[in-house]
Amino acid sequence: MSDEIKVDKHMDLKGLPCPMPVVKVSKGIKEVELGQVIEAVTTDPGSLTDFPAWARTSGNEILKSEQDGETIRFYIKRTA
Amino acid sequence: MDQKTRDDLLTLFQSKLNEAMRFYLETCTRCGTCTEACHAYASMGQVKYIAAYRHEIIRRIYKKYFKGRGKVWPSVGEAKELNEMALEELYEAAWSCTGCRRCMVYCPFGVDTQMLMSIAKLLLVGASAEPEILTLLADTSIEKGKSLELYKEGFLAGLKRLEEEVVKGWQMEAGETVIPVDVEGADLLYVALAGAHSIVPAAVVFNAARENWTLSFFEAVNFGAFVGDPTRTKLILDRIINEATRLKVKEVCICECGTAYRVMQQLAGRRPFKVSSITDVQARYIREGRIKLSRSTFKGSITYHDPCQMARNAGVIDAPRFILRHLTDDFREMTDDIRYNWCCGGGGGLVALGEDTLDFRMKSSRIKTEQVQETGAQILATACENCHTQLENLNDHYKMGVKVRFLSSMVADALVA
Repeated sequence: MSDEIKVDKHMDLKGLPCPMPVVKVSKGIKEVELGQVIEAVTTDPGSLTDFPAWARTSGNEILKSEQDGETIRFYIKRTA
Repeated sequence: MDQKTRDDLLTLFQSKLNEAMRFYLETCTRCGTCTEACHAYASMGQVKYIAAYRHEIIRRIYKKYFKGRGKVWPSVGEAKELNEMALEELYEAAWSCTGCRRCMVYCPFGVDTQMLMSIAKLLLVGASAEPEILTLLADTSIEKGKSLELYKEGFLAGLKRLEEEVVKGWQMEAGETVIPVDVEGADLLYVALAGAHSIVPAAVVFNAARENWTLSFFEAVNFGAFVGDPTRTKLILDRIINEATRLKVKEVCICECGTAYRVMQQLAGRRPFKVSSITDVQARYIREGRIKLSRSTFKGSITYHDPCQMARNAGVIDAPRFILRHLTDDFREMTDDIRYNWCCGGGGGLVALGEDTLDFRMKSSRIKTEQVQETGAQILATACENCHTQLENLNDHYKMGVKVRFLSSMVADALVA
């Protein structure tokens, strides 16, 4: 978990192929309040483009993303 | 439903009324030949899944608003009012249909259920009553096309870590590009899905065949087509057409995604390049002696599920069988006539809706499971992402005990120098 960002909900999306990480995050973001943050962990390389494009489309904000080998971690703030 | 909403929806309905659609709307004689054709009806036995029943909901709205007798004398004209209840019926009809068009093959008039369901889907989009996640996924694809520069870096970073896997599959000469991107003048543009499984095996085979290829920035899947929105479908398609035109490629090769292939093959209109499926391209490499496959890589018998959008609806029938004959001496057909092969039950966007449709997908595809099991095969190959996911779900649910494989990855695994 990131030191600076307070996470309100964790989503383990490892192993899920596209488009399931985006599908799950779209549902998951509605389960937190406005201003709260989801930490989503994926292994789908497509999420490196899908998540930022989804965030712009849905009006949410990606605070930070980190890649460590196969694992990609996104911190997403609900802003819509 | 207020009058303005109804008028707007009827304008959308009107936009679908070309000559073919009017023929489909006015021709059904309710002969019942399509009754057993739908996998959902064959598996679940509910009347609402009969193709003619699905049509009738659309047809009665058509009669009410577009035919004189329905307008003047609705009770005799079998007319149906377009209201909230009708939208619910349209949803049930359209979102339990995979668009496989097996019923169309049985219909003596060739009435196209998928086309009729496209009216239902468009009305649902117009009423904001469609599965909203599919619209969001379509808009995400469109956003990538509009603002490519924002996403290029992430795309290239994702590719970088796949290179090692590609080289493991086929050793390359020093200095050669493992996964070429944005190569102007390449012979072939490969349009993949986002995952490694769609990129790595294909790249291995392209490199083994010494193809002059380049990878598309865009994913092949067209969520606009799934949700039934022609505007979004075109915007998603245009991203790839524009890229192919800019790079001046001779051929656009679509990955194992039935809908993506059919949309590009049949909806792209006049285009300055040839469209092929990855299955066609890999079969061509074998025929031309550009790749060689081992028949001993896979132990046990193999059967093949024809993705409906590839086979029945787009004619990719011989190529997968040609490849399979180079992979095994024990290939087992599921059916005597490919046109009548059962749908897996995952198409039309149902798989992309994930757990929300899982129960229906399992119940409505019992007939497919029986067909697979009757072959006695140990390996179940296919060439479509949706079909693969659905068949894996069926394999788990019904404990079929088969190994579900993408045909393109089997080709990559069986390559010999």
